[in-house]
Amino acid sequence: MEDTTALKTLLFQLADDELIIGHRDAEWTGHGPILEADIAFSSMAQDELGHAQVYYGLLHDLGETEPDRLAFLRAAADFRCAHLVELPNGDWAFSSVRQFLYDAAETVRLAALAGSSFAPLAQAARKFAGEEKYHLLHGRTWMQQLGQAGGESRVRLQAALDQAYPYALGLFEPTDAEAALAARGLKPPEAELQGHWEALTRPVLAEAGLTPPKAAPVYGGRRGQHTPHLAALLADMQLVFRSDPEASW
Amino acid sequence: MTTPADTQWELYEVFHQKARGEHHVHVGAVHASSPAMALVLAKEQYARRLACVNLWVVRARDITASDYADADMFEHATDKSYREAFGYRVVKKVRGIEARGEHEAES
Repeated sequence: MEDTTALKTLLFQLADDELIIGHRDAEWTGHGPILEADIAFSSMAQDELGHAQVYYGLLHDLGETEPDRLAFLRAAADFRCAHLVELPNGDWAFSSVRQFLYDAAETVRLAALAGSSFAPLAQAARKFAGEEKYHLLHGRTWMQQLGQAGGESRVRLQAALDQAYPYALGLFEPTDAEAALAARGLKPPEAELQGHWEALTRPVLAEAGLTPPKAAPVYGGRRGQHTPHLAALLADMQLVFRSDPEASW
Repeated sequence: MTTPADTQWELYEVFHQKARGEHHVHVGAVHASSPAMALVLAKEQYARRLACVNLWVVRARDITASDYADADMFEHATDKSYREAFGYRVVKKVRGIEARGEHEAES
């Protein structure tokens, strides 16, 4: 039987990124700056959670436990998400920048995965492309709005970018599975994706009057080393499910 | 009575098109800081459930409207029912086709 270790490593990082950013986005529900922005962010949270569910479903097909149990019964050290998605929402500037950087990364990742040799993953990536196109448009529009408004708006956006950027680079943390994934045509190397991501984000940031900081990437998430924020998030997110894991909903 | 100052962004009216070739239908409005932002926000506001191929947003202040005080100019002083189309047989046929079309869409 084919060894699926590398493929599962990839699927866990994809699924966990989506689940945790989706949960963070959902925390804006009822708290957005205006009703329309609140609804848009909440809808994107549902999109990300939907993607996570599909990835967990693929893991289940490969022999892992049910998607709900993967989401709600694992401890922080079992998660493979990048630190970027764990960080608290902060202000609207930070959430907007984080979401834009994340969606740009997801855009280049999905474009690459659409050609993956694992057909179910390639199919999922092609299916998610439309939703992701909207997410990127949403992010770009907010960067333009907040950046071009100048004054305090631009200052806070640049501060948020300085804070988020090293963590965003951490989305491209290579894992032990890198060589196997590339060799089998499952996914191109992270360094290549990061190059595409920089080419996609730089013009948008420049247009918004923003300068990405020169920063070293923050790694660790892909190896299960996390900020304390993840454990706190999981305690909140998993509370209900853990109160009765056998209940049917 | 005074109207409280509108501290929201500008109002944009939203028009939704269900399929290519059909009319854009007015579905509501969003507050937004620019036409581009209005489109982004209208998408989740009005196209997250309905099928949609195209959205229009129009700055509400760009619309020229009649005055409700002049609503009497739309009233008919004499019977003008001859203008209505229900006298034509074809209407019955068209309604029949429409009804069947809706029935198919529901099933």
